[in-house]
Amino acid sequence: MAYTDKILEKSIDPSVHKMLERAEQLNLETVWDRYEAMLPECGFGELGVCCRNCNMGPCRISPFDDQGPKKGVCGATADIIVARNLIRMIAGGAAAHSDHGRDLAHTLLLTAEGKGGGYEIKDEEKLKALAGEYGIETEGRSKEEIALDLARAVYGEFGKQEGFVQFTRRAPEKRVALWKSLGIDPRGIDREIVEIMHRTHIGVDNDPVNLILQGLKASIADGWGGSTIATELSDVLFGTPTPVRSQSNLGVLNQDHVNIIVHGHEPVLSEMIVAASNDPELIALSEKVGAKGINVAGICCTGNEIIMRHGIPIVGNFLQQELAVITGAVEAMIVDVQCIMPSLGPLSECFHTKFISTSPKAKFPGATHMEFSEEKAFDIAKQIVQVAVENYSLRIPEKVLIPEDKTECMVGFSAEAIVKALGGTLDPLLNAIKSGDIKGIAGVVGCNNPKIKHDYGHVALVRELIKNNVLVTTTGCNAIACAKLGLMLPEAAEQAGDGLKGICRTLGVPPVLHMGSCVDISRILTVCAAVANALGVDISDLPVAGAAPEWMSEKAVSIGAYVVSSGIFTVLGTVPPVLGSKVVTEVLTLGANEVVGATFAVEPDPIKGARLMIAHMDKKRQALGI
Amino acid sequence: MSQPKEIFVKIDRCVGCLSCTTACAVEHSKSKTLFGAISETPVPKSRVYVQWVEPDGKVPLVCRHCEEAPCMYACISGAISRDENGVVITDTDKCIGCWTCVMVCPYGVIGRHLEEHKAYRCDRCPDREIPACVSACPTGALIYDTVDSFSGEVRKHASRELLRAERG
Amino acid sequence: MHPGSCFGRKGDNVTEEESKYIIVGGSAAGMAAAHAIRLHDRQGAVTVLTEEPDTPYFRPLIPFVVSGKKRAEDMVLSGCGPYIGRDIFVRTAARVESVNTTEKTVSVQGSGDLAYEKILFATGSRPYIPPEIEGTHAKGVFALRTLVDARNMAERVETSDHAVMLGGGLLNLKAAFALLERGLKVTLVVYSPEVLSQLMEPEDAFLIRKALDRAGLKIKTGCAATHIISDRTGVTGVALDPGGEMSCQMVCIGKGVRPNVEFLYGSNVRIDGGVVANRYTACNTPDTFTAGDVAVTFEPVSGDRIMTALWTNAVEMGRCAGQNMAGIKTAYSGTFGILNATQVADEPFVSMGVVHTTDHDFEIYRHATDMTYRKVVFNPVGTCLIGAVFIGDITNAGLYRYVIREKMPIMQIKRYIIDHTLHYGHFMTGKV
Repeated sequence: MAYTDKILEKSIDPSVHKMLERAEQLNLETVWDRYEAMLPECGFGELGVCCRNCNMGPCRISPFDDQGPKKGVCGATADIIVARNLIRMIAGGAAAHSDHGRDLAHTLLLTAEGKGGGYEIKDEEKLKALAGEYGIETEGRSKEEIALDLARAVYGEFGKQEGFVQFTRRAPEKRVALWKSLGIDPRGIDREIVEIMHRTHIGVDNDPVNLILQGLKASIADGWGGSTIATELSDVLFGTPTPVRSQSNLGVLNQDHVNIIVHGHEPVLSEMIVAASNDPELIALSEKVGAKGINVAGICCTGNEIIMRHGIPIVGNFLQQELAVITGAVEAMIVDVQCIMPSLGPLSECFHTKFISTSPKAKFPGATHMEFSEEKAFDIAKQIVQVAVENYSLRIPEKVLIPEDKTECMVGFSAEAIVKALGGTLDPLLNAIKSGDIKGIAGVVGCNNPKIKHDYGHVALVRELIKNNVLVTTTGCNAIACAKLGLMLPEAAEQAGDGLKGICRTLGVPPVLHMGSCVDISRILTVCAAVANALGVDISDLPVAGAAPEWMSEKAVSIGAYVVSSGIFTVLGTVPPVLGSKVVTEVLTLGANEVVGATFAVEPDPIKGARLMIAHMDKKRQALGI
Repeated sequence: MSQPKEIFVKIDRCVGCLSCTTACAVEHSKSKTLFGAISETPVPKSRVYVQWVEPDGKVPLVCRHCEEAPCMYACISGAISRDENGVVITDTDKCIGCWTCVMVCPYGVIGRHLEEHKAYRCDRCPDREIPACVSACPTGALIYDTVDSFSGEVRKHASRELLRAERG
Repeated sequence: MHPGSCFGRKGDNVTEEESKYIIVGGSAAGMAAAHAIRLHDRQGAVTVLTEEPDTPYFRPLIPFVVSGKKRAEDMVLSGCGPYIGRDIFVRTAARVESVNTTEKTVSVQGSGDLAYEKILFATGSRPYIPPEIEGTHAKGVFALRTLVDARNMAERVETSDHAVMLGGGLLNLKAAFALLERGLKVTLVVYSPEVLSQLMEPEDAFLIRKALDRAGLKIKTGCAATHIISDRTGVTGVALDPGGEMSCQMVCIGKGVRPNVEFLYGSNVRIDGGVVANRYTACNTPDTFTAGDVAVTFEPVSGDRIMTALWTNAVEMGRCAGQNMAGIKTAYSGTFGILNATQVADEPFVSMGVVHTTDHDFEIYRHATDMTYRKVVFNPVGTCLIGAVFIGDITNAGLYRYVIREKMPIMQIKRYIIDHTLHYGHFMTGKV
């Protein structure tokens, strides 16, 4: 029936179909409704040729030769305007990731000083390894002493003016040398972002290529800087992930438990919520109010963090955040920063759900603000969980509808875990690549976007890759999509080509390896660097490729930039706002190859996108002679 | 008397920026400026519409001021008439808000004014030389021209294309 | 070439008696025909004969005379919209008693005979007063049809406190509101389970019913009047079935209409309920045409014979008849039985085509929110749109009428029809 077609074509996830129908019944607006109301979206914005950087404007360049303005009031051409807009997106994304890393460094610092409200150093081995990278003495010192020095050193990376960002040196020497020769070896994390803002001010940098290079520089300071810091320090504080089983999708919400959803990005908050939910007093309280216990589940990247480390189930990815509230079964949605829709506040008011914001940086309409601080972390977390538990009695049974869909998954594949699964060295992996059992490695990542059928872009692309013996590493919302659609079970190896199937069966791993949250793409970089070093080549010589089939955020732009800057060909599922400039488009899709050894491609059809990646890997294999 | 001018639409030129709708609403506001218009009650209404057709079609629609306007014939209060410039006008004093015109308009370009309970449509901006929407369009998607002149331009372009195709 | 310029030459010494065209009936169909003739025949004299004492007016506006919001002068047809033709002679108080189609003459009451070359029967319809209701001749009982009725009603309001409306149709609703605005208490007595039963089904009308309730209208459904009680002052009350009496000083009957065909009895013009028209609005006898409420035409979706009493349809058919009379053969594309748009108590609604779906196998989609309601009806195989009701949000209603009328293949746009997101861009970009 045509009526259901409208819902069916929005997603491949059956839980989403159910909840969209429910939303219609209850007359509730979702992100898909707002997207439809926005159509047609302004073509100037779509092309990237709208500039609001000064008050002589706002300016827009006409895409048609014979009509309309060809230059902004200051004289900027479409090429300049598009380049400026693009690197401001990188600045936004890099800032988000780097602030996340900064918060982790701050938490480590407090913990080392004994002021952390409940944090501990869980992975001492990793602490020492990282200290080693910074040249910090570890022999005979307590972990607090080492952590103090490390935290200070890492904290210092942010405000650095000269020098280099330590973790960039993990990349192969050839790669670092290339960055240096291009002048894009970052000097400090915040500095490069600030310089983007300066350069894009009116009347500063008006050379599209020069602008793009600064964008790449700031992105490298994100990928090999802020993001890596976030990943590594999270491992130190909360444990490096090891393989663990869990479940994902809306069905993980529990009819007779207190349901708490953590949403946002930083494990600094979510780890504490998880810990607080295990507090015996609070569990007893939950039973007193008539529940059978407390059920914590995650959405988006913070969900990825706690599933990787504790097997806490994931409710869904980016586009499902409103649908989770619409189940009517959520006592509290606790959020910190990034990817949280401001529509959640008004939506929660239609249910008993408490929408709780915790970060002074991120306040929302209709949210109850319970400000989180690391110094009092565990206590505040307990307070928040208590608010959730007490809210259970206000749940309205008639308004509850929890879809049954939930899928088992095996997650927790940090770089260390992968090496361990391989038996302690990368050799089995390298051999498999050389033999062709594994054609190559793909990193498929990124958000959801209503412009692409929800999860279809992700899953169709991944399926096509594994069919062709490409080992898929994944993070973020793509990882959640793959988990929901059953690709993270060892049994999913059946859907892989013979070569990959064999490897998976031998190692007892799925063909799609969950490597964590979006900042954990740094784990993928680490693996690529290690493989490149082992083979004695640069990352750009490897049969690897990246893809973001349903991306939407500025963080994704920064990620794309640093992945390509590291020499990895990347396919994007939605068009970034660059087509208004021939120069910028050509640089990104062609010219970048000469400069950084990799390019972008745009392909909304995920099967075609996968084939581009496979063709690329074949080419690289040929060049390597394997 | 010279031919009246019409508003023609070049669909392939529309980028969906909605400058036309903003300009139209401002032109039909009391203050006639954007900053004034946004704080007026009732909210000024645009008479031109930009619609979306999957996957990437952007189509501006405006009253065609039909010569045999269905709305004029259907109006049960005689409020709609066609003036000497060929502009179909709704007399708001006579309009009783019955919406029969909306029911018969084949283009869907007659609006319902929620506050005044009257029908409204494009009036070809009688106080301007060139309608506000046409002036505002930054890509030349809206053209204000006579039928003969516009068709002439289309023919010129088409003949050039044909010749080019023929000569290879 | 602008229409205004070809509307006949003044001072042509054409007299009424030499009229080429005679039009019997001076309302929607008749006047639309007259002006259509003038558009295509600049010289031929046109005479319109109306039995009413008033010059042609917009009949749908007469409730405003009752409410006092408009005066009779505000409703004059001539000079408005398309009614700007010259040299169209209108004779008021000129009732046609008979027609001789062989001699080609009409006989006007109290006057002589008039000759014609072509004639249009557009005498419209009159209110139906159910004979089973006793006492309908009392003072204060009205059927709102003409300006005369409206004036009389407006006068009766002065000495009334409570009015009872018999029938829940659109005209009675409009009259009811007019009376409410004059400060009367009004009760609607409706035999059907819900108001507007001719235009939609009971469950479709709930938003309108809510608006009526909000506006202060009292409504009794499943109820009919048996007789009207009166004394020398006129109406004093109404007796009801299933039981009870209501005191009131005014009764308004809105129980449908009957075509005014009596003047054609004894002529050779074929009558079957109404005057039978072929596809070109012509009757069976030469040079005779018919249009409007009095005509029997056909419904475009089902092809069934149909008579309608709607201004819009009458104008359309009248225009078509006028063109045919002026020698331009034009087929009439048929009329929807239901084609209504209006605003009732601030609630706009549009109802068109086939909207009564009980006991049928149609494919139906409904969508209701607090403020809006819509129902779209497809044929049983779901390939053709045959009807639609929109309440509260009537955006682009005209497009749906077009789709229904033209029996358009709708598979590519079906979802937009169902979601009420259809717009002209879909037609322009080749979706259909």
